Amino acid sequence: MELILASAECDPAHDIICAPSDVNELFEFREAIFSLGPFPITRTVFLILGIAVIVSAVLFFGLRKKALVPGKFQTIVESIIEFVRDGIAIEIIGEHGAKYAPWLLSIFLFVLVGNLYEVTPFINFPVTSRMALPLMLAVITWVIFVIAGIKRQGLGYFLGIVWPKSVPMALRPLVGLIEFFSILLLRPLTLAIRLFANLVAGHLMLTLLLVSGWVFISSVGDIGARAGIGVAWFTMGLGIYMFEIVVIMLQAYIFTLLSAVYVQTSLYPDH
Amino acid sequence: MELEAAEALKGAIALVGYGLAAIGPGIGIGIVAGSAIEAMARQPEAAGIARTTMFLGIAFTEALALIGFVLFFIA
Repeated sequence: MELILASAECDPAHDIICAPSDVNELFEFREAIFSLGPFPITRTVFLILGIAVIVSAVLFFGLRKKALVPGKFQTIVESIIEFVRDGIAIEIIGEHGAKYAPWLLSIFLFVLVGNLYEVTPFINFPVTSRMALPLMLAVITWVIFVIAGIKRQGLGYFLGIVWPKSVPMALRPLVGLIEFFSILLLRPLTLAIRLFANLVAGHLMLTLLLVSGWVFISSVGDIGARAGIGVAWFTMGLGIYMFEIVVIMLQAYIFTLLSAVYVQTSLYPDH
Repeated sequence: MELEAAEALKGAIALVGYGLAAIGPGIGIGIVAGSAIEAMARQPEAAGIARTTMFLGIAFTEALALIGFVLFFIA
């Protein structure tokens, strides 16, 4: 189990606040467990492959029987699918939304399981807190909404961005410039950063509070009553743990929702 | 010597920068959520639309604070 430990050199008898020794640990790629040709297999890669296995297994076993009166598990899986298809795809994109539902469902389940690793005991590492993963998902979204725009409006899609018809003539160059950067550059970037930063922040908070709390409590013999602060930190960590579960669901939802909104705006630029 | 001092202060300055970056989005999210609650209380039958739009608004507003958070680590 890899945690950002409160630094090893930190002496709880003297320092009341121990900074993590090297916060960059979170952003570094560990060395590979083994290599498959040119592809090194790290712990992150294992977890990503794990997502694929978990999602496929849940969908396969949930929808295997297709009973008319669904069992408990089938009901859960079906309600997730219905939530993404009706609640996100059709509600946001409109009548053509069902076409995009499989892609949105894949994104939703992938991000959800990847985030849930954060609160899974003995894993405690959200793979979506590696910038590469949200960025790749955001690039896929970018490609899909640009292609959707080109298919719908031809090259007028780009013209509509840099020369918006709904804006007064004098403002068009300025608004066009802003729109160009915001749609083609900032959209995928903020989409990725939102997921990444939320998960990094959550992971940092959890590890700092829980691990530091545990370090203080377990060193009660050395520092006496001052170890009491560990109890407060550990309790706060457990509260944050509950909060993080909500954040995890919300971030998966928001990533999917924004992907749908971006496709909708390139299909119907007037709304 | 002065360079060393600046190097030592860099983390602290980045932290202040993150604090400043969090002010605007904090106010913004408050306004978004408050207006959404108002809308839901006025028209409970439109609560679904209001909630979806609220999450969208929060997501866009929040991005600024998160960029500040990321820059804190980069700096």
